Amino acid sequence: MGAFILRKAGAALIVVFLASVLVFVGVRAIPGDPALAYAAEDRDPKVLADIREKYGLDDPLPVQYVRWVGLALQGDLGTDTRGLPVAETIVTRIPLTLELTFLAMLIGTVIGITAGVIAAVRRGKASDYAATSVALLGLSVPHFWLGLLMIIVFAVNLNWLPASGYVPFREDPVENLKHMLMPAIVLGTGLSAVLMRQMRSAMLDSLGADYVRTARAKGLSEWSIVGRHALRNSLITVTTVIGLQLGALISGAVVTEQIFGIAGFGRLTVDSIAQRDYALLQGVVLVVAVGYVIVNLLVDVAYSLINPRIRVAGTSN
Amino acid sequence: MSLLIVVGAILAAVFAEWVAPYPPEETDFEALLASPSREHLLGTDDLGRDTLSRIIWGARASIQAGFFATVLAMAVAVPIGLIAGYYRGWLDTVIARVTDVLLAFPFLILAVGLAAILGPSLLNATLALGIAAIPPLIRIARGETLALREEDYVRAAVANGANDAVIIGRHILPNMTSTLLVQATLTIPAAIIGEAVLSFLGLGVQPPTPSWGVMLNAAQPYLNEAPSLAVYPGLAIVIVALAFNLLGDGLRDVLDPKTER
Repeated sequence: MGAFILRKAGAALIVVFLASVLVFVGVRAIPGDPALAYAAEDRDPKVLADIREKYGLDDPLPVQYVRWVGLALQGDLGTDTRGLPVAETIVTRIPLTLELTFLAMLIGTVIGITAGVIAAVRRGKASDYAATSVALLGLSVPHFWLGLLMIIVFAVNLNWLPASGYVPFREDPVENLKHMLMPAIVLGTGLSAVLMRQMRSAMLDSLGADYVRTARAKGLSEWSIVGRHALRNSLITVTTVIGLQLGALISGAVVTEQIFGIAGFGRLTVDSIAQRDYALLQGVVLVVAVGYVIVNLLVDVAYSLINPRIRVAGTSN
Repeated sequence: MSLLIVVGAILAAVFAEWVAPYPPEETDFEALLASPSREHLLGTDDLGRDTLSRIIWGARASIQAGFFATVLAMAVAVPIGLIAGYYRGWLDTVIARVTDVLLAFPFLILAVGLAAILGPSLLNATLALGIAAIPPLIRIARGETLALREEDYVRAAVANGANDAVIIGRHILPNMTSTLLVQATLTIPAAIIGEAVLSFLGLGVQPPTPSWGVMLNAAQPYLNEAPSLAVYPGLAIVIVALAFNLLGDGLRDVLDPKTER
């Protein structure tokens, strides 16, 4: 098991390295002159030359890359066009997005798995149709539109919840949750819909499998069949799905934060693209990639814990 | 029903010139932010443009992005996944690693980044969405292949001396169609929504060209005065995406013998 985790961690390191190259090259590939972004409105060639000199933008790309990674390893992601340290900006924005993502995941997972199991067990009954229909609707509703609708209904018309903004949890937990409720529901909807569908499909496969038939033949209770046999095997599929969906959550956070005026990480991403803030964009995307790789590593490990066959097959080759 | 909506949406997109009551960019300064009337069934926007017409024209961008992005993603991802899962070894390691690198960027972040690199336009948004959809599909196709190649009937085929192409084409691929179909039906609406998001963020279709995302973006300042501007384009996205999802579910039930059980 230790060797398995080490091997996976090694692979993750390679992924992070390649991703950092991709981020660097990708950001350089965006049309426009980085020096212009730093200079703001100033088009004076001398000013631009000074900026290129200061930020080393005239150096060959590999040199720039090595310098960027070297500093990044020490926690320095450079300074953005406003002259603020990128790493600091990111650190202050992350907690907002983490809270939003965590709440959305909580809402999505609880609703998705429960609805999926119920739909599979009660297949063909009214509750199955209801859960399946709602999930389909959830998959088909774009986050940002759901967000706009919720703002129209709950903020503009009913005045129950604030339309935008953020209050730190430590300052006022109630206000914090009030501000986060709509965004978290908006963001969690997609996840719950995807999970419900996958869970239902995986449970149906499991419930039709031979071992469940054997368990039934042995006279096990329905509870034990569903909970101990079918659910456990279905969770294998669902673990991967949750891991893959985390990306969707981060993506969704970009738009959700935009709509609800939450100054989190997603908002930072869009702003950095809009302002052509290369250092900031590079830092933001790198942090997303590294975070995502770590989560995927954890998913892989969890996956092998649930399904020993994967681990054995992986080691023998 | 869902088939009707999908066909209807495709027809509306193709024949927008004839279906839409007004040209999408025609302004009527006598009717700014007008409520629904006989002249303008769904009202008008802040420039007096007919909302219904713009939604019909907007279908073009959405359908195009959803369909072509999915075709692109499937055409690239499935063969790669099959090869990686079937042959394993170093090829699989390389493919898995490259996929992992691309998977390190969430779908929309990748699409947003690609759209930023390629420049804002419908074609580029479609390309960006298609490319961004490839990595998870490779992973799914590979995972399915890995599982299927261990099946008894594949071993039997190997024992019978069947060559790789026959095993992959006749035994493995047909057995993963239902999974791929489900994924495709998830990808088309996801790409339709993705196009709306990119356009909403200003990275896809550019105004004044109509797209559902562009329309929703333009509706934001008027949530108080004219909430319907934010409702109808979104409703169009939901209806079309839902129809695709339903169609896929129906197809799955028909094609997958396991669901007959």
